[in-house]
Amino acid sequence: MNIEKINSKFRLFGQFVVNHRLMVLIIFAALLVFSVAGLKRIYFETSFDTYFVKDDPMLLKTDEFKSIFGNDYYVAVLVENKDGLFNKPTLELVRELSNELMDSLAYSEKITSLTDLEFMVGTDEGMELQQIVPEEIPDTKEGLDSIRAKAYSKEYVSKKLVSKDGTMSWILVKLRPYPADSVWRAEGLEAPENQTGREAINICFKDKYKPLNPKIAGMPYMNYAKAQYIKQEMSRLMMIAIIVALIVMALVTRSLRGVVIPILTSIFALIIAMGIIGWLGLYLDMSTTMITVMLAFAVAIAYNIHVYSFFRAQLLKLHDRKQAAIDAIAETAWPVIFSGITTIAAMMTFLAMNIVPMKAMGINSALAITSVLVSILVISPVLLSLGHRTAADKEFNTSFEGRSANFFERFGEFVLSHSKKIIVISSIVTVFCAVGVSWIEPAFDVERSMGRKVEYVRNFLELCDTELGTMYSYDLMVVLPDEGDAKNPENLIKLETLEHEVENYPLTKRHSSVLDIIKDMNCTLNSNDTAFYHVPNNNEAVAQLLLLYENAGGSESEYWMDYEYRRLRLQIEISNYNSNEIEIEMNRLQDRAKELFPNAAVSVVGNLPQFTVMQQYLTRGQMMSMILSALIIGVLLMIVFGNIRLGLIGMIPNLAPAVFVGGLMGWLGYPLDMMTACIIPMILGLAVDDTIHFVNHAHLEFSRQRNYTHCVKATFRVAGLAIVMTTVIICATFLGFSISDAIQFAHFGTLAVSGLLSALLADLFITPSLFKLLKVFGKEEVEN
Amino acid sequence: MKKILLAIAVLMAAYSVDAQSLSGRDIIKKVKDNPDGDTRYSKLDLVLEKSNGSKRERKVESWAMDIGEDTKTMMFFTYPGDVKGTGFLTWNYDEIGKDDDKWLYMPALKKTRRISGSSSKTDYFMGTDFTYDDMGDRNIDEDDHKFLIMETIDGKECYVVESVPKDKREIYSKRISWIRKDCFMGVKVEYYDKLGKLHRVLNISDIKQVQGFWTRGKMVMENVQTKHKTVLTFSDIKYNLKIDADLFTVSKLEKGL
Repeated sequence: MNIEKINSKFRLFGQFVVNHRLMVLIIFAALLVFSVAGLKRIYFETSFDTYFVKDDPMLLKTDEFKSIFGNDYYVAVLVENKDGLFNKPTLELVRELSNELMDSLAYSEKITSLTDLEFMVGTDEGMELQQIVPEEIPDTKEGLDSIRAKAYSKEYVSKKLVSKDGTMSWILVKLRPYPADSVWRAEGLEAPENQTGREAINICFKDKYKPLNPKIAGMPYMNYAKAQYIKQEMSRLMMIAIIVALIVMALVTRSLRGVVIPILTSIFALIIAMGIIGWLGLYLDMSTTMITVMLAFAVAIAYNIHVYSFFRAQLLKLHDRKQAAIDAIAETAWPVIFSGITTIAAMMTFLAMNIVPMKAMGINSALAITSVLVSILVISPVLLSLGHRTAADKEFNTSFEGRSANFFERFGEFVLSHSKKIIVISSIVTVFCAVGVSWIEPAFDVERSMGRKVEYVRNFLELCDTELGTMYSYDLMVVLPDEGDAKNPENLIKLETLEHEVENYPLTKRHSSVLDIIKDMNCTLNSNDTAFYHVPNNNEAVAQLLLLYENAGGSESEYWMDYEYRRLRLQIEISNYNSNEIEIEMNRLQDRAKELFPNAAVSVVGNLPQFTVMQQYLTRGQMMSMILSALIIGVLLMIVFGNIRLGLIGMIPNLAPAVFVGGLMGWLGYPLDMMTACIIPMILGLAVDDTIHFVNHAHLEFSRQRNYTHCVKATFRVAGLAIVMTTVIICATFLGFSISDAIQFAHFGTLAVSGLLSALLADLFITPSLFKLLKVFGKEEVEN
Repeated sequence: MKKILLAIAVLMAAYSVDAQSLSGRDIIKKVKDNPDGDTRYSKLDLVLEKSNGSKRERKVESWAMDIGEDTKTMMFFTYPGDVKGTGFLTWNYDEIGKDDDKWLYMPALKKTRRISGSSSKTDYFMGTDFTYDDMGDRNIDEDDHKFLIMETIDGKECYVVESVPKDKREIYSKRISWIRKDCFMGVKVEYYDKLGKLHRVLNISDIKQVQGFWTRGKMVMENVQTKHKTVLTFSDIKYNLKIDADLFTVSKLEKGL
């Protein structure tokens, strides 16, 4: 690569920009206005279903399940009154809340609550469909006692509805199927899941319901609460990042311009990138967007520092702003663009993951970094060139830059004199870390990814810890060979066997199936005699019981048995989450079901199987993305250095931080999640920039004197400060994450900072040591 | 000028009287009072259809008799085989607030069970998208009716009437009915949920005269929110048959067809 030729092209570009400042600014302003209009089209996805690519087998299975049994998402509310629920004001309030949930949740389909329930009671001549709580709630002790007695009269009903001590009750709102994305988007409506979560919060947290201390569960609420939290946290972290970046830049540049220009360009770049994302209708979700935004902000500041450092050095020499700006673009545009390309390449490897938000993050980050490059190359020279010539009152040697150059030269000497020790120590650290890599475990559950410090998570986990609350659920779907098979008592008894077995699994909290209805009907039909709480012994009896149930106004059965009576559904709710344990339990249940129903198709669906599959995708995807980014960066290094051996050696200080971060995750027990999975490829993309700077400078210096000591010292003198400063600034930007209450953000921050620092240390210590030990540029002519 | 304005006012008033001399309540009452004989027989094919196309079909033979303002109905299931012979007897009372009496006979269990009470506000008929009220049992004074406009549907002039339930606990906030002017038969009804969004749409077709009585041949109720659909097809309809009032008793229910 002929750098001189490239630089001369960029000099022409810089001259054009500086000489046509007004026109350039107008065009850029037009691009900004266009982008601002695009911002309105941005939509953040919140549903977990959107994580799967269009034809993913798990998504197809989930869609099939939903088309048969309806929406498996629900809104559940735990209400609590420490003084007991069975008093008139509390019951009235529970009824009011239940009614409001049913009437005001736009997607509600059916409610089950203490005050609104399909409650069949056998009478002498038949059966009566009653409400546990009568229309007119009594105020007397006898009246309230009779309500309490009825609530506990059927154990299989009460264990899902009311706590043993009578202080808590569970309200469950089943949701109707959401319309297709194309439908609500075409009408410009809010995403159904978002809307449901928002409405549930608006209803439950009204002042009038405070005495019930409502706690909400269900995916729509969780996803909405998470999106709201991340939105808030993102603003907070962005603010911290800006303040920290301001401080660091003020210290480094000691100039208003040096602070304002990077901030402005990074903000402009983000507006342009997000605007284009809006116009193109690209996928966005909160957590991964946060990484895109922070990454773009960090690299914008870092790249600007490169441009500004060179500008400042030229200004000290020439005292002419315009010329200094043109020189800065001529000399730094290509290294900055190349740095951008390596980061873009690393981020684009996320396309190899089978997870939509990760793919989106790859594309969106690439777009954002491209916008950063455009902003820096266009806006920075214009803003730097504005103003008068400066007075010739400063000398390089007495400046901060001059003093730091001397310091780094001495530092280079130290490294060279300890090169063997450095290689030994870093090898030990790398092996130590490599051991930890094998312990990394993926996690998607809210406790391990967000943590109890986050308010909505804490409330949810407290709810899960109660007698009635459940965390997640999964469903077993049994598809029998022929229509009507699901009514066959033989099959129903097999389902019952499965129920009994699953009851003993450690994570199972409770289960539901059509058996609850059939057995209840049989019992009710026989004057509530619990001896009849079993499956009748012939097909017709089952069919007619179900008909009786429907005629009595029952509508629950269709959630558990399909229209053709071919499919049976068994739902298992779990009390707490452990990714390994739940996978074992789900596989165990599936295997057992296959054993019991050898001619049926058996599968597990729902949130938990989705989590498990997503974890597998993430683990595989991260590995793929890591290998790809290492390969791409390796190839880029070989191209830029024009030498395969040098490219491979250049990879060593870049792979070391990847192993270090992986080891740290294993040793510290940080799980692999959507955010931590981004770290290694991202660090590879960022860290390689410094290696390129360092190797390029070293190569140049070696070609001058063919002496490694001189080459390393001179390289430290010229590039040391810039390499340290860019890392410090990027670290400072990501440091804010470390103090977040949300575990995955804190992990991301800690790992990003550790990874970047380890990459810096590798560049400062390992790279020069390798130069000397491996004689990477050839033999020396002058021995020390 | 005053004379002109007066003339316009008179003309407008005359026009509105011509267009609508009946109130919303009058129209709904005329629908309710449409003669349908003292007794009726029909075969009913009932198909429930989910948005994914899966269907559940049931066939029923039905006899009905008016006794004053009340109606007694006896139905026997003829399809599918495992519920064949199951009988369903209902006594529907016109009196507001009085629950219907229902009995179901299950031949496999050799048991008749009286079903009383009501599950909840969503009291749908046999798992369909119809509530018992939709099937024609609703007292007209349970709603406030308001005539809105005249519209033409399938070439037939229709009254459009808005009915708002007096009891706010009803499952819908309002319904809008299109009623044919020539025969006072409803051809379309829209039901709106509590949030004012369209919830269900009933389309009635194949309206014809049988033995001089206006008769509905097909009713399709679609829940536009869930895309679930119920299709009721009536056939072999007969009016004023000689039926003994004893048919509508539990003992007859147990004897079967």
